[in-house]
Amino acid sequence: MSRSRLARSASKYAAIAGAAVRRALAERAVLAGRVVFLGAILFIFSRVWQTVVGGGAIAIPGAGKAELIWYLAVTEWCLLSVPPFFLSIEAEVRSGDVACRLVRPVSYVGAQLAEAFGETALRLAVLGPAAAGFALLIAGSWPADPRGLLLALPLGVLSSVLAVLSMAAIGLSAFWIVDTSPIFWIWQKLAFVLGGLLLPLELYPSWLRALARFSPFPAMLWGPGRMAFGFAPGVALETFLELAIWCALAAAGLAALATRVRRRLTVNGG
Amino acid sequence: MPHAIELAHLRKVFRVRERARGFAASLRALIAPREREVVAVDDVSFAIAPGERVAFVGPNGAGKSTTLKVLSGILQPTAGLVRVLGLDPGRDRARLAFRIGTVFGQRSQLWSHLPAADTFDLLARIYELEPAEYRQRRSELVSSFAIADIIEKPVRQLSLGERMRCELVASLLHRPEILFLDEPTIGLDVVAKATIRDLVRERGRRDGCTVLLTSHDTGDMEGVCERVLVIHQGRLLLDRPIEALRKSFIPRKRVSVVTEEAELRIDLPGVRRLPSAAHRTELEVDLAVIGVDRVVAAIVAGARVLDLSVEDPPMEEIVTAIYAGAAPAAARA
Repeated sequence: MSRSRLARSASKYAAIAGAAVRRALAERAVLAGRVVFLGAILFIFSRVWQTVVGGGAIAIPGAGKAELIWYLAVTEWCLLSVPPFFLSIEAEVRSGDVACRLVRPVSYVGAQLAEAFGETALRLAVLGPAAAGFALLIAGSWPADPRGLLLALPLGVLSSVLAVLSMAAIGLSAFWIVDTSPIFWIWQKLAFVLGGLLLPLELYPSWLRALARFSPFPAMLWGPGRMAFGFAPGVALETFLELAIWCALAAAGLAALATRVRRRLTVNGG
Repeated sequence: MPHAIELAHLRKVFRVRERARGFAASLRALIAPREREVVAVDDVSFAIAPGERVAFVGPNGAGKSTTLKVLSGILQPTAGLVRVLGLDPGRDRARLAFRIGTVFGQRSQLWSHLPAADTFDLLARIYELEPAEYRQRRSELVSSFAIADIIEKPVRQLSLGERMRCELVASLLHRPEILFLDEPTIGLDVVAKATIRDLVRERGRRDGCTVLLTSHDTGDMEGVCERVLVIHQGRLLLDRPIEALRKSFIPRKRVSVVTEEAELRIDLPGVRRLPSAAHRTELEVDLAVIGVDRVVAAIVAGARVLDLSVEDPPMEEIVTAIYAGAAPAAARA
């Protein structure tokens, strides 16, 4: 692809991402709902943490009550920032609206990803400060070494990229199974458990922790979250590389899936 | 002159999974699903010259939309030759996309939460229009489709007729050489239908754009097109100028009239009263005997009219008449 062709192509997807941001801004109630939900989750689990840690039931080196609340704020920020756009892909496949999208000089999957990345960027920007505000309010302080939170930022962004790619793949599965909710449900629960959404992996039995490390979920949630426990550039770099590898694998898988979708649409008519 | 659209012996077959009945059959179907073939389009051939406005009509499930999807590159044909602007749509879908415009009446290409103007801006980027060229084209279309006062409203707040005008503008921004319209007037009221038909016809003339319009509303083909292709059960039944079809197969019109008087008194040769209700009269007019204008004049002279509409017989009735009166082999006039 020539340079100017590439630039024109990038400009199209940037425009689609921009339109998605404008649409998300127009749907302010949805965004506000996410902020409220984030606050509620942080409040409920902060109570649990205060009881459990305060009672001495568990202990993580370098992590007190405040750090655990900040951990939760980071992991929830990563996960809640990704819109459930697999549902819109599913709806387009069900209704046949996908046909409308295919007559444009733009890749269907590329356009879906551009929309999702646009909306995710906005949510990251809104939910990030909101999560920090809630965590500060509930914990009453910053983590012992707040510099770790700076390292969580790029990790959180890359984590959302991985989640977007995963959700796109879940959405495309609608071409085979129509109802994608069972696949999303499994993906989400695996992310909760193996990713350490609520409980840091340090608290898991060693066999489960070892098992979880074979999946992308610890890099996606535990990796950014544990930056709340201290400033560890080496660990952050390791997590970043791990996330980059998982993103590359997810992108390759998605590309293969998109090719099969094109063939399937050709055969079955979408 | 090369054809804008050329189809030769197009056949499109879908494989449909058969639903298993009973628990044991459902389990078996998980491992070895049974499929059957559904022939959506069978041996359809036609050619359309550049600038021609052609109606592709037929009852629901006739194969109109499938053919349109094959022509726009969404679906691959099972067999046959397809050329659109000299390109093979299945292979050159991306290149073809720059040269065609599509409107699907039952689906929207506009973003419902945003104003139509935002979608236009986005489409300008997608179709790689130069900013100055886009501004000039948009301004021309906004004025011609009279949407200046609605393009800044979120699309979800627009009426169906307003939305359809915006859909048409969206599909015309990149100056397509061919416009595919799939049921563009479905769900619209009489006035909105007439507006859309006028706009499509005028725009087609002004831009020299080839129009292929699918519909099961005979009013669409009369209002927009000069030639009609009738398809039924996947096979091309008839290919004629509109005028010839009207004379041969639309010999009657239906007039519905609502009057202040409980009963409308009308006694004219060629006018038959259909089952009616108080204040609402349904008439069938035989065009070979009397013109609709004379019937309407008689109604208006004899009663206080609150509402009046003139409709063609339903497409199914026309197809039945074509079956009865014309052999497909001799269909071309």
